[in-house]
Amino acid sequence: MVDIVFVILAIFAIGGGLGMILFAQPMYSALSLIVCLVALGGVFALLSAPFLFMVQIILYAGAIITLLLFIIMFLNIKDDNLPDEPNKITTIFVGGVLLIPFNILILKAFNTLPSKPMHILGKDFGDIQSFGIELFRGWLVPFELISMLLLAALVGAVVYARKGSVDG
Amino acid sequence: MSAVLISVVIFNIVLALIVSLVFVPILVWMERRVAGFIQDRLGPNRCHIGGVRLGGIVQSFADMLKLVFKEDYRPNSVKEKLLFRLSPVIVFVTAYLSFMVIPFADDLTINGETYMMQALPIEFGLLWVLAFAGLGVYGLMLGGWASNNKFSLLGGIRSAAQVISYEAVMGLSLISMLITYGSIHFGDMVRFQGELIWGLIPAWGIVIQPVAALLFIITAFAETNRAPFDIAEGESEIVGGFHTEYSAMGFGLFFVGEYIAMGAASALIITIFLGGYQIPWLNTITLKENIEIVMLAILVLLPAMSYFFARWIKKNNVWPDPDDVRNRETKWLIIGLIGINIAVVLTLIGLLSFGISSNITNISVALIQVITFVFKLIMVNFFFILVRWTLVRFRYDQLQNLAWKVLLPIAIANVFITGIFVVVLGV
Repeated sequence: MVDIVFVILAIFAIGGGLGMILFAQPMYSALSLIVCLVALGGVFALLSAPFLFMVQIILYAGAIITLLLFIIMFLNIKDDNLPDEPNKITTIFVGGVLLIPFNILILKAFNTLPSKPMHILGKDFGDIQSFGIELFRGWLVPFELISMLLLAALVGAVVYARKGSVDG
Repeated sequence: MSAVLISVVIFNIVLALIVSLVFVPILVWMERRVAGFIQDRLGPNRCHIGGVRLGGIVQSFADMLKLVFKEDYRPNSVKEKLLFRLSPVIVFVTAYLSFMVIPFADDLTINGETYMMQALPIEFGLLWVLAFAGLGVYGLMLGGWASNNKFSLLGGIRSAAQVISYEAVMGLSLISMLITYGSIHFGDMVRFQGELIWGLIPAWGIVIQPVAALLFIITAFAETNRAPFDIAEGESEIVGGFHTEYSAMGFGLFFVGEYIAMGAASALIITIFLGGYQIPWLNTITLKENIEIVMLAILVLLPAMSYFFARWIKKNNVWPDPDDVRNRETKWLIIGLIGINIAVVLTLIGLLSFGISSNITNISVALIQVITFVFKLIMVNFFFILVRWTLVRFRYDQLQNLAWKVLLPIAIANVFITGIFVVVLGV
């Protein structure tokens, strides 16, 4: 049962990823990205991490892609604005072939993993309380540093936006 | 899986269907009648089946039939047919799914087993609702974009910008509630609200955190795209916004989705701020201890209220011509009322005389709480409708200024103050 669900989610995730690269129209690329992210969220849910699953949907599928779509719609790209891509299929094929060694490496690394007993984890694994305690006890400094980084990016964006409007 | 579990789950899913889908015609009727009374007219009251008009509710069903049987016309300019068809479905489905985690009653115990009274018994209900509130906007955006029409595109962009700004405020107002309740499980939140502050005031969210309640109600209005935040459709500026090109059931799904979203927002407001299924001063434990008194009270109150209701119908629904079909409505309604009264009174007398087991106590408490919840739902929906027909639409820049310059700072300050309170008082 779990395997079947995983295979379906994986097909959706890979299909979404491929669609994001292959579609010429940016709107469809963004929509494929949503499919990919929601499918990844489903994989998190399968791994008994409900909090990560919900956060994946709220943040990535809900907020970030909304922003992305908003910008794409704002630009209102027409079909004749899109660049010509005559050798698209060849380029993607060559790119795929070049990545084969890397894939083999990952497969090898995966096969050398020590085998662990697979069983359903306890009910409170990955729920919001244990996750929060772990995050704010053991990983408080990295957490705060990342929020500072995001804040810096935010301030930078505001500074750039203001510069444009003042100078005309 | 026991038979009890299956029946509880089915009961909850049917209940979620009723409070979302079946409520839509009632909400449409309420909206039109309230709009009518505010604009000094009557609103729809003529449509009838054999004389039964139910104050005009029948009109909503007629409207729905009209939408189903109309020609579904799609302009040739629409290129993205799949997205064009998909977007009303997204709006409808996301609005409907957010109803799934609302607790309709306290956890039900039958034969020693406890069942959550939610259609989807999960414990991270708040995150679920936030997730689907975020996904719902795709319906509006894609509908506006796929219509290939400038007005629709503007509507889609507006709704996206609005949701992005108001979702931030909504999340922050919810964070202060999370600090207060210490849980993201709706059941825990509502149980918290069943207590009393200083043994006097019900500890409802709106009493403990009035600022967060105000912020959340404002953002809930914005998330449902209802006036004063309905710039996404703004018919005086951009024709119909995102649904300009839709006809028949495509438009119908947007329309129904809007009302379901309104119902879901009301259910959220009730669950987080207005005590959920709790009756003030009568929380689950008190109800269970005093179930016989409560049953006796219902036994006395229901027939008395029905008597006054029947008198009101008889006084107001009289037509001079004796053959007028509308005179028949009075008869049917009073027969219905008497039937309901007889059924309820017989059941209650039977229960009281044969003794009440703990299972029956638990089930009747759950039923009373479901009725309380539905009553609150109707009241908050009524409030939504009153606001829509009282306030005027925001201009686009006013809307963004309100979100980023007024609501967001207040929300952050509220989180900060709540945090200080919790740390200092050690609640």
